[in-house]
Amino acid sequence: METKKATRFNHLQKWESTLAACIRCGYCFEHCPLFKFTGWESDAPRAKLITAFGLLSGELELSETSADKMFNCFYCRRCEAACSSGVTLTDVFTDAKKDLVEMGYTGPGTTSITEPYCAQCLLCVQSCPHEARSHGENGIETDPVKCQSCGICVEICPAEAAKIVHTFGTGKADLIDASNRFLDTHTSAKAIVFACNWSYYPDLQASRLPESETHDRDYEIYVNMCAGRLETETLMAPFINHAWGVLVSCCPEDDCQHKDGGKRAKKQVARLQSILKSLDIDPERLQVVEIPNGDKTLFQAEIDTFIDRLNALGPIT
Amino acid sequence: MKRMDVSKLREIFGEQNIKTDPSDLYSFGSDSSVHHAMPWAVVRPDNTEQVQKLMVYANQALIPVIPRGGGSGMCGQTVPIQGGIVLDMKHMNRILEINLPDVYCRVEPGVVDDDLNLALKSYGMFYPPTPASSRIATIGGEIANNASGVRSVKYGATRDAVLGMKVVLPTGELVTLGAHTRVEATGYQLHKLMVGSEGTLGIVVEATLNFVPIPEYRCMGIANFDHLSDAGAAIGEIMASGAIPSMLELVDSVAIKAVNKTMNLGLKEVAASLIFEADGMVKEAVDYEINKMKEICKKHRGSDITTSYDPKERAKIFMGRKKLFPALSKYDDCLSSTSLADDMAVPYSKMAEMAGKIHEVAEKNNIIMTAYGHCGSGCMHTKILMDTKQPEQWASARKAITEIYEYVRSVNGTTSAEHGIGLSKAASFKVEKADSLKLLQTIKLALDPNNILNPGKLMQAPDDWVTATGLRYAVNN
Repeated sequence: METKKATRFNHLQKWESTLAACIRCGYCFEHCPLFKFTGWESDAPRAKLITAFGLLSGELELSETSADKMFNCFYCRRCEAACSSGVTLTDVFTDAKKDLVEMGYTGPGTTSITEPYCAQCLLCVQSCPHEARSHGENGIETDPVKCQSCGICVEICPAEAAKIVHTFGTGKADLIDASNRFLDTHTSAKAIVFACNWSYYPDLQASRLPESETHDRDYEIYVNMCAGRLETETLMAPFINHAWGVLVSCCPEDDCQHKDGGKRAKKQVARLQSILKSLDIDPERLQVVEIPNGDKTLFQAEIDTFIDRLNALGPIT
Repeated sequence: MKRMDVSKLREIFGEQNIKTDPSDLYSFGSDSSVHHAMPWAVVRPDNTEQVQKLMVYANQALIPVIPRGGGSGMCGQTVPIQGGIVLDMKHMNRILEINLPDVYCRVEPGVVDDDLNLALKSYGMFYPPTPASSRIATIGGEIANNASGVRSVKYGATRDAVLGMKVVLPTGELVTLGAHTRVEATGYQLHKLMVGSEGTLGIVVEATLNFVPIPEYRCMGIANFDHLSDAGAAIGEIMASGAIPSMLELVDSVAIKAVNKTMNLGLKEVAASLIFEADGMVKEAVDYEINKMKEICKKHRGSDITTSYDPKERAKIFMGRKKLFPALSKYDDCLSSTSLADDMAVPYSKMAEMAGKIHEVAEKNNIIMTAYGHCGSGCMHTKILMDTKQPEQWASARKAITEIYEYVRSVNGTTSAEHGIGLSKAASFKVEKADSLKLLQTIKLALDPNNILNPGKLMQAPDDWVTATGLRYAVNN
């Protein structure tokens, strides 16, 4: 291939050798919540590096859709942890976004947006850990380069005006819909497990088990980007739908990528446990457990222990 | 470009299972090889009927169809050299049956190897081919490639684990090949023909696979050698001694230096290390095997010999080998680790000589090459580290590869042990199989008369791999 440099990619340019260093092994696939949700290889981190190469080399035409690839990332960085070549993928994406913004492309991809009915209370501006939100002439604005799609603004906004449009199955409505669907379709269902993206999923990554092994499943795991962002509605919805219990997994407090996600999750669960208690529901039916990164065995053991406890408690009457 | 009717694809697959935007197509033009070419569309079937309908349409419209699994192939097998429709099989990912009493499982082609092993683990079983890419490689891709890995020395390659399969032929016809039994002498073993056919003869839509028990005991050892020839002699004697290693890996000095340089592991910088493993259900039997290998290593001046049953200790022993890939990628900012001439097989007695030849050729052509691999199954892996921006480096790589394959053939070796031919190795493949190329082409056209299924690969691939497609690297003018 002949080099046809798109000179406008001034920031991305410095990653040229890194893009060549990626051996395209694809080990990042199973770690990416986007790929696991859509099942399309073109949403996986490797594809984004390929896209970045295509844009930089001029082989791939710059368009809304090719630009959008770079704005679709939750910055969980699990791809980086799994990368054979040690590529810091999100740094590449961030620099690509800088160039794209300068060229007038702003996504949004997974970047948070603000609906016109925003009350401008500034809570999101104060809470954004990445200083991506600011108040300007046009109200609340998000810097699409700085935004890491963490969703804290979405959780904190009292008017529900802060939104992530492309949630890839990790948004509040997605989680509630999916957990309700599982509870509705499995008479054996007892528990919903909301797993932090860093609590490595202990089950099949990209394949499906035989129907004979799944029809009597008593729990299902749903991945969200941080346990600290699980809202009251998400955690309580399964109880309304006859779940026996809800388990939340979070990272250890000193190892949360989103600073205090673990702490927030524990606080939220403690608060909801007291509500359950006031409703004469055993608070043990809602629990939070710390799972160190990558410890699938412990995660599975905690799930098994929780199910045993629920079996002892029986259904909510 | 032949006319492709997207509405026909929509009719078969539904809008949500088709990609036609260049931003999606571009990433489907690559795999883990050096090649890149754009497809015209990507479709994602959920069932066999959709695959059949697609093939009927493509066969009539003469549009190339390129089946694709995880996209982890290293030689360009899934790169659409003539354009066409990429058939992404990842969504046909159901494990259909795990039949313990009959010791087989039935799976769809998109099932990921590691997932199958996770499902089998609860039965105390595993699926043995175990390529290094098992976390992404699909069973369909592994069948197409006859994949194997570190444990193939004892458990064999994919071909040994496949009992039967359902295949959609390029004409759209569905055929059932092989059986569900361990042995079969019922005519042509056409399911074995499909293994390693690189998606050129048919599309596997269901596979029946054998599995084996997870051993109770695993013991791993390492021995260092000051001379490659000593390591080579040890390999030959281990394999001839009747010992049954479950793993026998060679790591050369370049690899050790690379790991030390980038990972700071402090491994002893010797000419070569051998990593060996035995497994089994009875500890005494494993002891017997491991001691036999240890003694042979000692006899051939192996030093610092360590063995362990402890999983943590085993992980330490294997660390140098495990960290090799990332180490090579980070070896030098200006150099990329490329998959070229990366998996030849030679007779056991030639393993050390092969490694020496690789070093000699690399030095002569001013590139860095490392030699490592599953020497217990005769497989030697290499990576070529080069500045991919420099056209002269590609010329050097081309020359080095030609010389290496000439040597491989001269010692009765073979071009590929487990990664397949695709585009990158077609030149050597054609020389090696010169007297059967006509026969191979006859078989291909008997099954695929219009040559629409993954055309331009194997015997149909261009002789010069550098110009066969666009390269995935930016090369200076």
